Amino acid sequence: MKKFLMATVAVTAMMSAFPAIALERGGSLTFARYDDSTLIDPIYADRNPDIWMVTNLYDTLLRTEADGKTVTAGLASDYSVAADGMSVSLTMRDGIKFSDGSPIEGKDVVFSLQRAANPDLSPWAGLLASVDEVSAEGNNVTISLKNSDPTIVLMLATFNTAIVSADAFEAASGETDQDKAKALSIDGFVGSGPFVMQSHQRGSMMQFAANPHYWREGEDGKPLPYIDGINFLVIPDDATRILKLQAGEVDGAEFIPFARVSELEADPNINMELFPSTRIIYSPINTRSERADGSANPLSDVRLRQALNYATNKDALVQLILHGAGKPVTSGLMASTTQLATDNGPLYQYDLDKAKALIAEAGVAANTEITLTTLAGSADDGIILAALQQMWSDIGIKLNVAQVDGPTRGAKNRSGDFDIHTYGWVNDVNDPAQVAGWLGYFPTAKAVGTGWNNDEFNGLYEASNTEMDPAKRAEQYARMQDIYAQAAPLLFMYETPFAVALSQDVKGYLQTPLGNNEFATAWIDR
Amino acid sequence: MSSISYFISRVLQIIPTFLIVMVIIFLLVRALPGDPAIAMADAKATTEQLEQIRQRLGLNEPIWVQFGYFVKNTLTGNLGDSILLKAPVTEVIFERLPASGFLALYAVLFSLLIAGPLAFVAALNRNKWLDVTIRSVFQIGLSTPVFYIGLLLLTFLAAKMRWFPVGGYGVTFWEHMYHLLLPALTVALYTSAIIMRNLRSSVIEVMDAEYVQFARAKGLPEHVILGRHILRNALISTVTLLGLSIGNLMSGTLVTETVFAVPGVGRLMLDAIFARDYPLIQGLTLTFAVLVSIIFLLTDMVQAMLDPRLRVS
Repeated sequence: MKKFLMATVAVTAMMSAFPAIALERGGSLTFARYDDSTLIDPIYADRNPDIWMVTNLYDTLLRTEADGKTVTAGLASDYSVAADGMSVSLTMRDGIKFSDGSPIEGKDVVFSLQRAANPDLSPWAGLLASVDEVSAEGNNVTISLKNSDPTIVLMLATFNTAIVSADAFEAASGETDQDKAKALSIDGFVGSGPFVMQSHQRGSMMQFAANPHYWREGEDGKPLPYIDGINFLVIPDDATRILKLQAGEVDGAEFIPFARVSELEADPNINMELFPSTRIIYSPINTRSERADGSANPLSDVRLRQALNYATNKDALVQLILHGAGKPVTSGLMASTTQLATDNGPLYQYDLDKAKALIAEAGVAANTEITLTTLAGSADDGIILAALQQMWSDIGIKLNVAQVDGPTRGAKNRSGDFDIHTYGWVNDVNDPAQVAGWLGYFPTAKAVGTGWNNDEFNGLYEASNTEMDPAKRAEQYARMQDIYAQAAPLLFMYETPFAVALSQDVKGYLQTPLGNNEFATAWIDR
Repeated sequence: MSSISYFISRVLQIIPTFLIVMVIIFLLVRALPGDPAIAMADAKATTEQLEQIRQRLGLNEPIWVQFGYFVKNTLTGNLGDSILLKAPVTEVIFERLPASGFLALYAVLFSLLIAGPLAFVAALNRNKWLDVTIRSVFQIGLSTPVFYIGLLLLTFLAAKMRWFPVGGYGVTFWEHMYHLLLPALTVALYTSAIIMRNLRSSVIEVMDAEYVQFARAKGLPEHVILGRHILRNALISTVTLLGLSIGNLMSGTLVTETVFAVPGVGRLMLDAIFARDYPLIQGLTLTFAVLVSIIFLLTDMVQAMLDPRLRVS
């Protein structure tokens, strides 16, 4: 018994001294992507395959933790916001370097932030509209603002404010800033992130190598990344990406169709990860009093919109489309992973009696026809249509379909030429202002094309954009979410995770709620 | 008409074809519903951002002004920049053409290797069990969707048996040969069925021709009759079909390219259409028009070599 106790104590001591699995360095990862990147530059990245790669090549002044909400130090070791909210002071780390070994200095921060805030260059400049001036002295950087901006700290942890080398841009060939960015992405790449671009064969493959000058330390006390490089292969077909993983030709595959998740979960060689995301699937409803053709629009009546929401069994949709790997939305305005999201349980829980009562109250005629505009060729949209046709027939609504392609759907959304159409969203920034501005604030995009225009909501949104008291801002957002849910300008549906399948020996890979692929902490357990 | 003047007259015929294609493609692309600015900027762009994009792309200019730019730029070899890929259209197309070209030629080679001998065996055994079996097997190839054949080959020969890579293109010539073997076979299973049926019918038709009966009556050996009289004459219509197939394959191996992750122009065209990438769609269509014209020219030349009557007419 004594021997057993001693052995137990020894094993326990060893387990606490060493992690359960010893972290290993070296080796390369091969990762199958659904689409290729075009230009991975902080300000020109405008598609997800670009945006989600930026922070692998360029580091930001501040960083967010894996939850996508908590801000921590990045290239800046310390930051503070002035009491009046009109400026941000940052202290840069000592000894940090770009991938070519040159120091990362204040002038690079000034150059990068000015570039990011320039509306003539960056499509994301609106996110930094409050920035007045950026200056640097030694290790200290000051950002002066035109107005107080509660989002500014989070913006400094967002891809578009990542730091590029001012000298490299000056030396790069090309006339315009974009030409220089393109030139840098091909030859003589200089970055501040954990990896450097090694080669890129458009539409086929892309290789990253570890940045030998990267500053952030891993769990073993040595600089990240753990791996020597990443080889990205572009495999647009879902089935082929999965086969490639099963054949052992790649170590990871993204965008796994939800129908295949349970099969891959059962595969002993594969680690099926479902990363929490800010991705929501919803359907904007045209709330205008007239349709585009001039006929009366029954959907302008909030009671009909609420009735449709009650008559939609979101749990069933989650089962049918996501095979259970998701959940109905709990905030009409944002995914539950977004900051300031309220959670009062699922919105408009399936209740046929309430739906029928609202239909009767609104005086909606039996067999009223509504058209759902869906994406041609989308299997998910096909399922949504079939399910809604059946569900809504219970309340006397006849659902027709109009199948279009993506750009046509976008144009219909902008012109208001639709009844209801399918749509999706993933946050690009950690603050809820972006998604709330898109879905609810009328001046941005007519409340996601619905035409819904609520003065109280618009006023709250504007006030929240300069409100520096976190508690007050949270109240404003709670109220906005309340108003929005009540007005139901959307058919509130569900949120989905990011489904990534990895080989069992890949550890530490992360896809953040914004979709960013984080390879800095990934390692291979041989 | 000599071979050279026949060649020149055929080349001159390409010019009006090319001009008509230019007009049609310019108008057709703009007739597509949907706004390229929205397609380019994703759904999240503000109204001002969309306006900026339209300005930058010249989409606010009158259509005849846009056409003028298009003709001028095309004639000077400038097809513009791809909206989607933020790179010159010519650069993007030349990057992707080799993979599609390699796949098309590889598939045609496979098709000929499969269809040629089997068409003769089937024709020489007309309506016997061998002929019926060959035709039935090819009928399955013809009626099975290409993506399904592709996935079956990938699942069993690549993922399960590990004899081939699961998709991709490789870097060196031999890697291309290895990576594209399954996709080429997939395409060939379909095209060889068409070629086999055509060649078999032609061989049967020629076998019954009087000049073959005459050659046989003259006492010529069977291999000479087969090679010089039957094969040469039967090939005339097959060469036309082959030309059409290569033309189709250069632009139309979209499904195979997607399933096998081959970075070719078929996939690029689909991406360009979905993104309403006007410059890229126009560039690709013009490239296809030129390629198909060249292939048809070569087809006509080969036909003229096989059949001197064509040169005379």
